Amino acid sequence: MSTKSSFDPYDSFKKYSEIWEKQINDFLFLLSNNNEFVKMSKVETDTHARYLEAFKKNQEAVAGVLNLPTKNDLANVTSLTIQTEEKIDSLEEKIWDIQDSLKSQSKEIESVIDVSKEIIKLTKQLKTELGKTKKELADSKNLKGELQEIRFELNKLNNLKEDLEILKSQFKNDHPIEPVLTGAGSNK
Amino acid sequence: MAVDTKDFIPPLELDYEQEMKRWKHLFQVLNEPEPKIGHTPRTEVWRKNKSVLWHYPATQKKYQIPLFFVYSLFNKPYILDFAPKVSVIEGLTNRGYDVYLLDWGTPGYEDKNIGMDTYIEKYLRTAVRRAIRHSGADEMTIVGYCLGGTIASIYASIAEEPIKNLIVATVPIDFTEFAGPDKWMEGFRNGDINVDRLIDVYGNVPSTYVEAMFRAVSAPIYFSHYTTLLNRAHDARYVEKWRRMNKWTTDQVPFAGEAFRQLANDLFKENKLIKQELMIGNKPVDLKNIKSNLLVISSSNDNLVPESQSLPIMDLVSSEDKTYKLVEAGHVSLALTGLFALVVDEWASTRSNPLKLL
Repeated sequence: MSTKSSFDPYDSFKKYSEIWEKQINDFLFLLSNNNEFVKMSKVETDTHARYLEAFKKNQEAVAGVLNLPTKNDLANVTSLTIQTEEKIDSLEEKIWDIQDSLKSQSKEIESVIDVSKEIIKLTKQLKTELGKTKKELADSKNLKGELQEIRFELNKLNNLKEDLEILKSQFKNDHPIEPVLTGAGSNK
Repeated sequence: MAVDTKDFIPPLELDYEQEMKRWKHLFQVLNEPEPKIGHTPRTEVWRKNKSVLWHYPATQKKYQIPLFFVYSLFNKPYILDFAPKVSVIEGLTNRGYDVYLLDWGTPGYEDKNIGMDTYIEKYLRTAVRRAIRHSGADEMTIVGYCLGGTIASIYASIAEEPIKNLIVATVPIDFTEFAGPDKWMEGFRNGDINVDRLIDVYGNVPSTYVEAMFRAVSAPIYFSHYTTLLNRAHDARYVEKWRRMNKWTTDQVPFAGEAFRQLANDLFKENKLIKQELMIGNKPVDLKNIKSNLLVISSSNDNLVPESQSLPIMDLVSSEDKTYKLVEAGHVSLALTGLFALVVDEWASTRSNPLKLL
């Protein structure tokens, strides 16, 4: 049995490509990581910028003569759109504020309504209580009258008792009890 | 004596079925339309100029505080919603977060005067306010990735909006160190390299220049990804991922001229953010004003934004709750693999007011 592994050309290619890539990048790093390269790149970017500036300036001039809109003109128009968007946003936020204040106000109104409902409920309760009290007062008045009647009756009874007492004492006075001898009537 | 080549050259054994797949996939890469991007369902909340605020609703909402993503101005943000199952945004919506993403859009010539202050004060701030309003939440978690992290940090230090948490990943804060050749940085700082004049004539930095700039800093000559594709072209899943990645890396956006001027001069050249000299509008930017809970994520294999560029933010903020996390990933692979969603969830889950689910 063979101990050798099979050859995968893709795997090897990948490994070599990574090594090559790293070597090239390391070389470029060494090449570019110095002051001279930096200064050279500055010259190149300045030249590039000058060339573009001149090109743009000419483009604007030609567009001006031919009355053609340029990117700058479009940018100016777009800035107006963005301003409008910002205004709409701020208006929307103001509407939020109004909505919030309306919500808080309606909450306050709801709480006032709740309090009013409580007051109405309480008033009704008080009214019922008052009716009951009135009824009880009328009952107590009746009771008082009845009590007075009873008192009057009692007074009358007391008077009757007194009369009876008087009559009793008068009767006693009119018919004194005479002493009777024992056996006095047997001789007749 | 004749030498048998079999003794030192391993036998070439090709699997012909695999070869057919390899070449079929390679021709598909050349001929098929570009892969579809943006998978997670989303709705547009707000639009201004070319910028759009997107809302990705949570599959089942578990947290009260939404996540608001701010991506870099150099690239398109669909790297955060790269492909199903590995998408950062999908990962977070599936974990119960409402996600908002501010897509800066592709600036045109008319946007050449948009500076960092305009982006922060008129775009980002408004978008955050809209997201707060839309979500009904009281607070927000801002998540910044790459240069988006720098923008998010600058915004957080001048924000009037309630920001509970700030998460920044692979974020350049301290520009003392530079990932590219040191003589370039030296030339840049002493004025030998000056972008002002080029910006004046171009208006914006063209997307090809943006791409060339990144290539120059990392690897000016770059072809190994093609040989890697050739090597693994028999694997349909790898080919699909390669196509997406290739689309994203070559899909650069132009950089608004004024913003690039500020970035180059104020941050790269003069490092004003660290020196507390940066101004946004009429407001001085001081990272000490950041009191939100802070998570800083760095990638250990990041050759574009080294750890030393992110780490200083830890000492510059006033946040009491601050975490630094170094993850095993690269500058892009952190988002590409979906790992970012896991790291964010792990930290944010306890800081995003979990909802009591019935």
